[in-house]
Amino acid sequence: MTLQLREAVVRRGGFRLAADFELAMQGVTVVFGPSGAGKSSLLAAIAGLQRLETGLLTFNGRVLEDARTRVRVPAHERGIGLVFQDARLFPHLTVKGNLDYAENRRPAARNAPIVIEIARRLQFENLLGRPVRNLSGGERSRVALARAIVSAPELLLLDEPFSALDGRRRRDFLVLLRELSREQNLPMLVVTHHLDDAVEIASQIVMVRAGRVIGHGAAADVMARPDFMSLLDRRDFGVRLPAAAVSAGEAEGVWVRADSVLIASEQPRGISARHVWRGMIASIVRETTGGVLVSLATDAGYILSRITPEALQDLGLEEGRTAWAVLKAHAL
Amino acid sequence: MVRAMLTADELQILSTSLGVAGRAVLFSLPVAIAFAWALSRPNFPGKSVLDTIAHLPLVLPPVLVGYLLLLGLGAQSPFGAWLKSAFGIQLALTAEGAAVATAVMAFPLMVRAIRLSFEATDPGLFEAASVLRAGPWDRFWSMTLPLAWPGVLAGAVTAFAAGLGEFGAVITFASNVEGETQTLPLAINAALNTPGRDDAAFRLALISLVAAIVGLVLAELLQRWARRRLAA
Repeated sequence: MTLQLREAVVRRGGFRLAADFELAMQGVTVVFGPSGAGKSSLLAAIAGLQRLETGLLTFNGRVLEDARTRVRVPAHERGIGLVFQDARLFPHLTVKGNLDYAENRRPAARNAPIVIEIARRLQFENLLGRPVRNLSGGERSRVALARAIVSAPELLLLDEPFSALDGRRRRDFLVLLRELSREQNLPMLVVTHHLDDAVEIASQIVMVRAGRVIGHGAAADVMARPDFMSLLDRRDFGVRLPAAAVSAGEAEGVWVRADSVLIASEQPRGISARHVWRGMIASIVRETTGGVLVSLATDAGYILSRITPEALQDLGLEEGRTAWAVLKAHAL
Repeated sequence: MVRAMLTADELQILSTSLGVAGRAVLFSLPVAIAFAWALSRPNFPGKSVLDTIAHLPLVLPPVLVGYLLLLGLGAQSPFGAWLKSAFGIQLALTAEGAAVATAVMAFPLMVRAIRLSFEATDPGLFEAASVLRAGPWDRFWSMTLPLAWPGVLAGAVTAFAAGLGEFGAVITFASNVEGETQTLPLAINAALNTPGRDDAAFRLALISLVAAIVGLVLAELLQRWARRRLAA
């Protein structure tokens, strides 16, 4: 299940995206980067909705598009599904009609859940007979996801499918995606520009910035790289910890923002010890914006804390000294 | 009720009119759908030529359209002669001929209504269909047509209502044959040209008016339904 793009260039209006990478698709891979970086163009090109201007695209060794030889497999023959940000349910069909549309066009050899199963799994069995125009944003997202899964693609692309959701419901949807990817043995490529989404579900990450794919790899590795920081807002600076380190249950990992971590020069007393780590100060970096980033090497991994220059002075922090990192409870 | 209000002759004329307009819609609908679909595509070579052809009957004098049909399909023309010898089809002086003339005249109306509804559909939906493995032909039948269906129907009804009143092209191409090509407007014209038949002309005019209004109202209702349906 290898997805390969070689010297690929996609042009949409005045926008240009360059991609050159090869990635074994398994579990949930997140395409991460700021808004307008070219994430959606990347998905459109893989799905076959957007032409490659130059370069090569293969999946599982099959050439889907080669600009040099002018080979191009049309979207409907690629076997690659796509869930759009705006769901794009067919307005002339009911919810069930939308799912049937996918089921009726699925090759006999492909295994996938039948309509009623997936509707039960995604908890919209009661909506099957409804016209799609009366559905809420969350319902549309789930129906669009179900429709794509019923179609039994070999790879499923998702373009911020949870943008209509927030808070608890967004988190539930992310968990559902990860579970479905495992249950259906269906690799997913999910676009998001929200750090928390990426940390929650990514087993791998593809980084996109300013019209270029700048790197990819296992989520834990990519998130530890300096150029990953360059994709983040200043207030999102932080480190990824394995979920187990903070007993965060099912998630792939958790993101600990530097702004949520306090540094103590002596072991703190009288507070819950669950989110306190002892470690050695690995580096102290002054930001141009006035803050100070302190990196602490602990058993759980490196932890980043942003403090003021005054605090740095008061605490007498130096590289190589022992210190304690305290995570604010609401940060998880 | 209609039977009680109309004379046998009037019934005959009304049924000729309905038959001619109905057949005209049947003849032109598939061609109109093809034209409308092509014209709703982004620019392609020859688009403006196609557009001109589709609109021509709207600007040509109906008599000229009838005359052109006579030249092209009349019994004296090579094509007309071939139709007659190969299939036994004669268009001049028959209801089929009247239907063909009406079809040509109603064609621009139909193309316009159908094209508008093709253009009103969200192209994103076709992308969504194609990533669910629907090819171009499949998408036409499963998405393009059903989504535009109310517009197609409205176009057909409008064309039907307009077809009931087609005069110039019909009388030139198919002539005025009672019980065959004599539709409402032709009968009104004949009555007006016969001394002492003014009452008959007035009654026929009323029938014409009612039929046209029913058609227009129906078309408007269909358009509204179409808008509601696509606003999902």
